[in-house]
Amino acid sequence: MRTTFQDELALLEATLQEEGALVLRALRGAINALEQRDEELADEVIAFDDDVDERYVRIEEGIQLLLARQTPVATDLRLVLAILHINLHLERMADYCVTIAKLSKLVPEVDPGPRFVEGFEEMGSRCEEMIRIALDSFGNRDLEGAESLVDLDELVDRANRRVVARILELGGDPEMREYGLRMVVVSRALERIGDHAVDIGEQTAYLLTAEFREFTDASHPSPREA
Amino acid sequence: MARDVTIPVDVGPAEIAQERKAPTPAQRDVVFDIDGLTVSYGSTTAISRVDLDVYRNLITAVIGPSGCGKSTFIRCLNRMNDLVPGARIDGQVLYRGQDLYADGVDPVEVRRRIGMVFQRANPFPKSIYDNVAWGPRVLGMKKDLDGRIERALTDAALWDEVKDRLKKSALSLSGGQQQRLCIARAIAIEPEVLLLDEPASALDPIATSAIEDLMHELKKEYTLVIVTHNMQQAARVADLTAFFSLEVGESKRTGVLVEYDTTDKIFTNPSDQRTEDYVTGRFG
Repeated sequence: MRTTFQDELALLEATLQEEGALVLRALRGAINALEQRDEELADEVIAFDDDVDERYVRIEEGIQLLLARQTPVATDLRLVLAILHINLHLERMADYCVTIAKLSKLVPEVDPGPRFVEGFEEMGSRCEEMIRIALDSFGNRDLEGAESLVDLDELVDRANRRVVARILELGGDPEMREYGLRMVVVSRALERIGDHAVDIGEQTAYLLTAEFREFTDASHPSPREA
Repeated sequence: MARDVTIPVDVGPAEIAQERKAPTPAQRDVVFDIDGLTVSYGSTTAISRVDLDVYRNLITAVIGPSGCGKSTFIRCLNRMNDLVPGARIDGQVLYRGQDLYADGVDPVEVRRRIGMVFQRANPFPKSIYDNVAWGPRVLGMKKDLDGRIERALTDAALWDEVKDRLKKSALSLSGGQQQRLCIARAIAIEPEVLLLDEPASALDPIATSAIEDLMHELKKEYTLVIVTHNMQQAARVADLTAFFSLEVGESKRTGVLVEYDTTDKIFTNPSDQRTEDYVTGRFG
């Protein structure tokens, strides 16, 4: 039994879950900063991205060492590869949170009405749920949970389309238009966070089934979408 | 079940694909068809009911923990176990359709066609030339002996290192060179199959890598079966991998074939939990 190796692998996975928890915190912070126009909170989200990056680098280095020294195979190999990919997805999610935080500071003082805030709150909390399910199903090796992310992502995509429709209704006032432009990017960032959560689900499926497959593929829609 | 083996297909990038090239249909001949092979020494059963096919121009690796019968198995393929007193072989080993253990089969002829290289390089205390020439001389292959020896040494990737000192003692060579000399000696008589029993376990990493490169070259002309306790070596060189393990019963331990599949499958997603536990180092 390669005790050291198993310990190192378990530590990497724990660090990954920790990184996931930090991403959840960043996302909630970014949404709150946006909704409440809280610049201080936005700055905090931006600053705390270093915490995510620190875990990201630690995991990358750990995996480099494991590959170089332990030559993992079979399930161990798949777990190492899945951690490597999920690490990148989480880091990208955190970057999107930073993007949202930065944009929340840049918007002009306009009042687009409460429906906007509601739309982002909906997308944000759906994304939070997706990240939680992505992390839990990976941690629990739960294929069904991982696959359920596709349906949840569809809801985020729909919310994204609604937000974009509302932006188009904002009218021609230059400040309103600038606000709308920035919010398109926010909506897009949230939509991408959902996509990354689905990608994490795909890594869980790969770990469990040893098959590389995309849950959904734009060029080959599944029967459900067709 | 263990015999349902799919021939490897190209899955990797071009370079890997080149190395692990899938055989053309004409090459997918079964060289050994092994059925229910059981070997006992006295009252001890070393391996039990092994079913396995070995394919032409592929490298088949046999891995497993100590005492699982890897060496016993490979030694059945050229009747080396005949030399062990008390050894009893049941089941069938068909070599190109011919039962190797049938009456009237000459073990010497078997060993001419199915050569073997051992863990410890064992050159004769003679010149490099004489070591390689020994087999052909014994078998009366006297025509163009010099050419035959040059070809064997070239195929064993040793020619450039020894061509200027063929008359020097084989014992003056390094361990890795001696092992390649033994491979040259084995292929000088043009066998069809090369069995390698831990051929690199006594060698340093550079000499090991030379032997592994050589195996990739040799499989173009020969069928190779290698026993190795070095799993990474199996992962690096073999097209197919057979995993043997020990079945522990009441006061008895018997070697069994657990899983036989493409090396890619064995090392990424083995079907049997015992294989998984072994290749990931959780057991053995």
